[in-house]
Amino acid sequence: MKRQTKFDSAEQQQHAAGQQTQQQSALEFAAAEELLRYDAEHTAVPGSIAQRLQESTGSLPPPPARSWWRRLFRRGNP
Amino acid sequence: MKALVNEPVAEQACLDQAPSGLTPSEFADLYTSHSRAIYYLALRFLGDPQKAEDATHDVFLKAFRKMDQFRGEASWRTWLYRIAINHCRNLQQAWHERHLFSNADDAVWESAAVPDDSPLRVLETRELGERIQKALDGLPAEYRLLLLLVADEELSYEQVGVLTEQSADAVRGKLHRARKAFTVLFRKSA
Repeated sequence: MKRQTKFDSAEQQQHAAGQQTQQQSALEFAAAEELLRYDAEHTAVPGSIAQRLQESTGSLPPPPARSWWRRLFRRGNP
Repeated sequence: MKALVNEPVAEQACLDQAPSGLTPSEFADLYTSHSRAIYYLALRFLGDPQKAEDATHDVFLKAFRKMDQFRGEASWRTWLYRIAINHCRNLQQAWHERHLFSNADDAVWESAAVPDDSPLRVLETRELGERIQKALDGLPAEYRLLLLLVADEELSYEQVGVLTEQSADAVRGKLHRARKAFTVLFRKSA
């Protein structure tokens, strides 16, 4: 009887844990954007992009400086 | 849930230098900070890892060339998103005009999962990614873009509104419908 109780208890605990897991996974992706966030975190950016970019920018002149009149305009209009 | 991108950034340092352009090292920081967000947007918007790779390269190259046009009124992330959205839209329009469709094969999708993950995780991530892509592909382009932008916790509804040329209230209203439509399509894709 006690064993049965223990079994019930373990079963109940397992059931409760299962429910909790289900609830957690349901909560985890409650909104579409949360699912997308998870997907984004697990999506690798190919290393080849940085390599290509380095080659592409290396052959270009340095980034253009902001023109003096824009800087002046911005200073007067924060 | 963590942010879309973990930021190892020196964004404030970049912003301080913005009016006169960035040094190569700062531009590298900019890439490190925002490349995942831009690549993910391109990947799910275009639905093809190879095209997303090309698009991400082109977006950052454009940013490098047009650095003087960054006015410092928006964040770097918003500015880069604007370039990325325009670039992806132009690509899609060009493909539709030529009646080309994405033909990403399985090998290409496999390479999109984080390489450090276990094989099981890679499989799970790949399957999840495919389901997400199917659901997104079934959405109107406007809803797809809204969901992808709102998923980035760095963007406020106001910023999403600016990027999609509508008010923050309109974003909230459409987002509700976009979530519902996505959920239906995602369940169907199981």
